[in-house]
Amino acid sequence: MTALDRVDAPLKVSGSAPYPSDFTLPDQVHAVLVQSTVAAGRISAIDTTAALAAPGVLAVITHENAPPLADLPMTPLGAPPRFPFKDDRIIHCGQHVAVVVAGTHEQAASAARLVQVSYETAKPVLDLDDPRAEVVDNGWGMEVDVGDAEAALSSAEITYEETFDIAPEANNPLGLFTTLASWDSDRLTVHDCSQWPIMTRQALATAFGLPESDVRVLVPYLGGGFGAGLRAWSHTLLAALAARVVGRPVKLVLTRPQMFTSVGHRARSRQRLRLGMTGAGRLVAIDQESTAALGAEEDNFSAVVLGTPHAYDCPNVATHDRQVRLNIPNPGFMRAPGHAEGNFALESALDELSYRVGIDPVELRLRNFAEVHPQSGLPWSSNALRECLQVGAERFGWRDRSPVPRSTRDGNWLVGYGMAGVTFGWYAAPCRARLSILASGTAVLKAAATDIGTGTYTIAAQQVAELLGLRVDQVRVEIGDSDLPPAPQSGGSGLAVALTGAIQVAAANLLRALLDEVAADARSPLRGRRLDEVTASDGRLHLIDDPAVGEKYADVLARHGLDELTADGELDLAAAAADAGVAPAGAFAARFAEVRVDEDLGLLRVTRLLSVVDGGRILNEKTARSQIIGGTVMGIGMAMFEEVAFDHATGRVANATFGDYLIPVNADVPDLDVVFVGGPDAFSPTGVKGLGEVGVVGVPAAIANAVYHATGRRIRSLPITIDQLM
Amino acid sequence: MSDALRQTPELVTLTVNGSVHQVQLDSRTTLLDALRDHLELSGTKKGCDQGACGACTVLLDGKRIVSCLVLAAQCEGREVTTVEGVTVDGRPHAVQEAFCRHDALQCGYCTPGQVMSAISLLAEGRAGSDDEIREFMSGNLCRCGAYPNIVAAIREVAGQEATSR
Amino acid sequence: MRGFEYVRATDVGSAVALVSGDPGASYLAGGTTQLDLMLKDAVVPQGLLVDIGRLPLRGIATDGDVLRVGALTTMEELAADPVVAERVPFVSEALLAGASTQLRNMATIGGNLLQRTRCRYFRDIAVTDCNKRTPGSGCAAVTGAARMHAILGASAHCIALHASDLCVPLRALDAEVRVEGAAGQRTIAFADLHVMPGERPDVETVLRHGEMISEVLVPLLPAGTRSGYLKVRDRVSYEFALTSAAAALSIEDGVITLARLALGGVGTVPWRATEAERVLVGAPATARTFLAAAEAAIQDPFTVPGTEFKVELAKRTIVRVLRTVSGEQS
Repeated sequence: MTALDRVDAPLKVSGSAPYPSDFTLPDQVHAVLVQSTVAAGRISAIDTTAALAAPGVLAVITHENAPPLADLPMTPLGAPPRFPFKDDRIIHCGQHVAVVVAGTHEQAASAARLVQVSYETAKPVLDLDDPRAEVVDNGWGMEVDVGDAEAALSSAEITYEETFDIAPEANNPLGLFTTLASWDSDRLTVHDCSQWPIMTRQALATAFGLPESDVRVLVPYLGGGFGAGLRAWSHTLLAALAARVVGRPVKLVLTRPQMFTSVGHRARSRQRLRLGMTGAGRLVAIDQESTAALGAEEDNFSAVVLGTPHAYDCPNVATHDRQVRLNIPNPGFMRAPGHAEGNFALESALDELSYRVGIDPVELRLRNFAEVHPQSGLPWSSNALRECLQVGAERFGWRDRSPVPRSTRDGNWLVGYGMAGVTFGWYAAPCRARLSILASGTAVLKAAATDIGTGTYTIAAQQVAELLGLRVDQVRVEIGDSDLPPAPQSGGSGLAVALTGAIQVAAANLLRALLDEVAADARSPLRGRRLDEVTASDGRLHLIDDPAVGEKYADVLARHGLDELTADGELDLAAAAADAGVAPAGAFAARFAEVRVDEDLGLLRVTRLLSVVDGGRILNEKTARSQIIGGTVMGIGMAMFEEVAFDHATGRVANATFGDYLIPVNADVPDLDVVFVGGPDAFSPTGVKGLGEVGVVGVPAAIANAVYHATGRRIRSLPITIDQLM
Repeated sequence: MSDALRQTPELVTLTVNGSVHQVQLDSRTTLLDALRDHLELSGTKKGCDQGACGACTVLLDGKRIVSCLVLAAQCEGREVTTVEGVTVDGRPHAVQEAFCRHDALQCGYCTPGQVMSAISLLAEGRAGSDDEIREFMSGNLCRCGAYPNIVAAIREVAGQEATSR
Repeated sequence: MRGFEYVRATDVGSAVALVSGDPGASYLAGGTTQLDLMLKDAVVPQGLLVDIGRLPLRGIATDGDVLRVGALTTMEELAADPVVAERVPFVSEALLAGASTQLRNMATIGGNLLQRTRCRYFRDIAVTDCNKRTPGSGCAAVTGAARMHAILGASAHCIALHASDLCVPLRALDAEVRVEGAAGQRTIAFADLHVMPGERPDVETVLRHGEMISEVLVPLLPAGTRSGYLKVRDRVSYEFALTSAAAALSIEDGVITLARLALGGVGTVPWRATEAERVLVGAPATARTFLAAAEAAIQDPFTVPGTEFKVELAKRTIVRVLRTVSGEQS
């Protein structure tokens, strides 16, 4: 386990890492969006006269004059967002209704205010309980029904039933989503805040009727996404459309308020959870049902109850996932979608039951540990949840706590400990990587992956360096470009597994190609050697048994007159999983929180938070730890602050600024303790498991459980705010 | 109009990182947009454009401000320092190096603002304890949640031992 | 639509003349409210902007028992002033509890007094019902997602909060503001500066168009008086107050001889708790007295579903600040 400094850190601390909004093209002009101020109805008239007459304005595009675009294709993560310029219908507040293009940003912003839109308004459907709302079942096969939960509940010694509410949250990456689109005759290039360049390319190619090879999506750096960059949002299409209309490169930067309505959010959800348990604390039944908000005419792939079915050993499990169509901006993916929400309900419930059955919360989880994957019965490819719980309890000083709620006071503060177990999901998508050795003896890795702050550049460089026996600074990583070999999205905690695996295959293929190259080379000490006889170190390939027998890459390439030697590696773990004989595992974790509550003033402070995480093999302890602390901070936000306030009469976001929508600030976050346990995963070719999302999961439950321990007050809705605690 | 009042500037003279620039600007142009769109200094980031996130933090006459809420024209005759101007003889500032060592960044978008704020914080003498660092760095949002590492980086530069919260 | 024009003033007189003579003109000082409202939210129409940032109205001087604070002094400068720290520490505490260092380096004291409400219904021009922007149009916040809103001085016409922290201790201290106008100078008591919304929420202060705050006069507390500012909010830092209280107490032999109390986070204007002060003066400095004062402070609140909790929270905030300032160990 190494702790290498992030390879792109020097670029980032100096402000020289180029994000999509940092690019400027010759002749570039600026686009600003006009958004609907009503949530439902149709546009009865749209008057662009004044805007068109404003200084510097080049075009105003609306549904009335927009060139038609083809429907976007289905993606592996569900249907694409609806394109708003198809017709005059309004289905949510903040829907894009016009694009104003002008010479400068100031001119475009100023002219955008002159676009007069008249609406024929309808009464919007905004409430989960509105009888007019259409309710749809999850159409993605994410529900589970094992055993007979209903029967087990009716005969269980101890039963539990409660409802949990989670407020909608906005991803709010700091980087304002930007598209810079330019056309070169019929070739389109976009700099875009995509976490998935291949998907964005496919969407643009389909929309504009182009071959995919004529579309290029570039995103070398992304100012965060947290799932917001996993869909082809309409502003991306509109920027490309505007560039085509005006015949010049167009830059479109969303405003912060627009970020709340244009790039998805974590849907508001309500869960009903029923559990059956024996007096000895063994789960016999789980029935978890969720209802979440959905856009009026859109799809959201994300289920709410994802982790529960394989979290614990329980013979009877049923989950139900339904979505309610509302006139709200379409929800989307937000870090640990489903897992974060489902875990809050399950782990809060287990905490409640621990008090009822009189079993320590840690012990209760241990008693229900799933030795094998609960549904398939297959052994886990790795599962150190037990170790997470035990190491965590020890390190946190869990046993020192008085188990009685409201028993610890320090001045005005009540002090409480809470914990939660975490079982994350496994996800994999096919990945390709291209690896080259150059004449200089250095290496280049190419893949259409992205680094959204997760550390892709760094772990890819480390992996290549290790496999080819090079120093990290001898490896150049090229990602963030759809022209590169296809790689999956940064999302689902699957990229690190897929990409490092593909790199491993590519490295083997590359070394094999090198050996092929010297197979008949009388001057090569490696002539006639097989891949399993050699290894690489110090920039040279040599025999495992006799390191003196070998040669430098640079020497091979020079002798053979090669500028470079290249090989691709491809990995499809999802396909391989089918008959692997094991249940591929995602990350596991245990979270332990200490909170302080000032009941008079309703103040809640997190004073300690420990995460013990089984992430398989940890390639880089620094970036891995950062993933966990980052997720933890987002979990603190989910637990204590974050709520997109939709005005219940108009569907408008009433807090669409950073002054009003509260995310944690530095002062809200204590030192966060992170420990990694477990070993390399047996199914993942590199032993790696994804860590990008698990950091969020379990934090809200650990905090809520600590609040209960501190105060005796059980809170089942997020965020936990002052008014609930005072 | 009174002689005592200067006419709306069209040509604005800005002193940025010690260099004097004359730029033709719309009078509505903020310092942030002037830096990014007219002076090719894109290190300073726009995260909210409403003065709420700190991503656009620069020093104005040595004091940290948010460049999205000041007009470029207001900055004439004053010294602007951006993240591009804090290197010393081509070497990174101690704060920048500490940020790298402590992984005090993830996506990196808020990082130039954090760096500028941290440099200013140290000059203000407000890095005396972890709590003080946390409080006076709270005007710089980091959605990736690098806060503990940011505190660690600043603590190191300040030569302070970690103090309990 | 008139264009956006920027001029930089070099003396007070011509700046006042320029703004007074143009109904669409306004002053630009720190810019943290004005540029936000004009350029970003488009709540204030674009017009002539007279930059007064370099006028010689910056600096702090002690004049007997009064601190004279130039209107263009920044929040950071005033917070760091040693006399403030010694004689009116709750002013410094309130300043440092507000905004961020970056904003405090920009925002001026004069501007802070005149800051506009953070009500998102006011600041979102897509909202048509806002009596503060368009008198007679209604108030969307009353039936909307209210939280950061006022419960005192509020009505169905407007629940927009005056969100200044600084104004809370200044209101407690009976500060005064010196104002320059086309008709000359005048001095306005702090209590008279801000106007309750009533049926005209668009009228926020008694200042006439073109009048400019040049100086704020802050009476210093007598030696031996203790003061404190308590701000209650969701986050530890960098958030407007849900409730706040500024208190100053002199206590002799356990009896309160001087009491000043003002509230933030609850009023449409900076709120002086005069009734509470009456309860306090002459009473023993006990928890019971503080509770009685808190009850007296919150009279006839106007609440909506999202702000109901503030009634109790404000009372507890008062009790806590009084306990802290009185030195009572909790």
